[in-house]
Amino acid sequence: MVINGVEIDDTFAEAFNMRGTRILITAQNLRWAYNAANAMTGFATSVIGCGVEAGIERELSEDETPDGRPGVSVLMFAMGSKVLMQQLETRMGQCILTCPTAAAFAGIESEDMISLGKHLRFFGDGYQVSKQIPDANGKLKRYWRIPVMDGEFLTEETTGMVRAIGGGNFLVLGASQAQVLTACEAAIDAMRKLPNVIMPFPGGVVRSGSKVGSKYPKMFASTNDAFCPTLKGVVKSELDPRVESVMEIVVNGLTFEDIAVSMKAGIEAACSLGKDNGILRVSAGNYGGKLGQHHFKLRPILSGEVTA
Amino acid sequence: MSHIILTAKPVSRSVDCRALLPLALQSKTAAEIGAIKLAANLSVLDAFEVSVDVATEAPKLTFKNTTSSHQYIGFGMTTGQLVVEGDAGDFLGAQLQNGVLICKGNAGARAGDRMRRGMLLIEGNASDYCGSDMMAGTLGVLGSTGAHLGYGMKRGTLLLAQAPALQATWIDCGFHKLPFLNILYKSFKLLDSRFAQISSQRVQRWMGDMGGLGKAEILVIQA
Repeated sequence: MVINGVEIDDTFAEAFNMRGTRILITAQNLRWAYNAANAMTGFATSVIGCGVEAGIERELSEDETPDGRPGVSVLMFAMGSKVLMQQLETRMGQCILTCPTAAAFAGIESEDMISLGKHLRFFGDGYQVSKQIPDANGKLKRYWRIPVMDGEFLTEETTGMVRAIGGGNFLVLGASQAQVLTACEAAIDAMRKLPNVIMPFPGGVVRSGSKVGSKYPKMFASTNDAFCPTLKGVVKSELDPRVESVMEIVVNGLTFEDIAVSMKAGIEAACSLGKDNGILRVSAGNYGGKLGQHHFKLRPILSGEVTA
Repeated sequence: MSHIILTAKPVSRSVDCRALLPLALQSKTAAEIGAIKLAANLSVLDAFEVSVDVATEAPKLTFKNTTSSHQYIGFGMTTGQLVVEGDAGDFLGAQLQNGVLICKGNAGARAGDRMRRGMLLIEGNASDYCGSDMMAGTLGVLGSTGAHLGYGMKRGTLLLAQAPALQATWIDCGFHKLPFLNILYKSFKLLDSRFAQISSQRVQRWMGDMGGLGKAEILVIQA
């Protein structure tokens, strides 16, 4: 398969079951909503080192938020419910509670409701106030008002936890670092317009893809030498002589379809620059299909087949 | 769920309405409701004209033409919506457990007494001991409030459009803009009530009743 002169490898991305949640963060204005959300989603690129993978999903208008203020929605993913709950509480306490004017609300409903402000309320030292208020559908929701120095911190008691998928990915291979980065930026711009997904790495792009294992016994992951352009000729390389740079985009989403749709949008955006702009191949990272529960086959996805 | 309408007939005695709640009257015919005894020698039909109207999503009960003689309206209500298109006597919404109670007119003494949850919205005036011993929930009054406001109140919110008489056991916490009020006002907009017109998030906050637990608040809306 070739798109705009870019070869699409006959391969697949291997992804994993995760647990996910969505939080709506509002503030006096978008500047402070972003300050809170950026702090909350900081150091959340990979579960390997950060516990969770998190990112800003999209901006929210005043009409879309419970308290009528501007905000952003954040998606957060972890390998298990226990880690997700612990990380959510920690980040709520350190990043949202602390941020001037910020408030937090449930962004998703499910049978599994987890603590958002339920335990954080004790920061109020007995002065916290609970309010049960019906939403637009008449469903009662519990909020906590916690006295803080800038006034009151408002948070909903719980948010939903759902089954989700993490680790959808594709690799962009090109003639130069600058050209590959430009293609990845175009891909990220396209993917960020879609709901229910985040690209958790810096700017949405990973430059240090890894393989399982290492020559060093204590390392359980190491550089993906087969895709490192400076090792061509030294290792069993996946790269032909034209390729001087490879970057990866990792995408987590609430469903298989969400990830597949975003991968399609991202790959098409990257390929839109074409061979003339140094974009040569698109591939994907997998572990031979033995570790992940979900396989995102590039060619069927680009043909519009997005079912699992 | 049906909408039950009870239109008050002129009465020369007080009428205890505690048996008349939205959920309790659901799935009953007008005749069955009319036969309910309010006192030894007083049935619903003696005191009200009964009609059962269109289907609603939640249990709904409307009182019409009521006066201060109609006491204990909404007593211990657990769910649904109760609207009083008239005045209400003493103990309006007392021991309210949940749901929304809207009184378009004035309320007698002890409105919201020992209320635990839900919303009691009084568009007119509230008499003495409004919110007495309230445990939680939200009680709003657009008109004036009488003596001993929030007496023994433990938790919960009294939302007032008019400044109350000073209370010795309530502490003035100053003026604030409270974000949660936006959410509360949004819920008001779903109701057929003058409370839907409130928009100011700036309030004067009082905490009390310091004679007891002292975790309750009076919020006086500022223009």
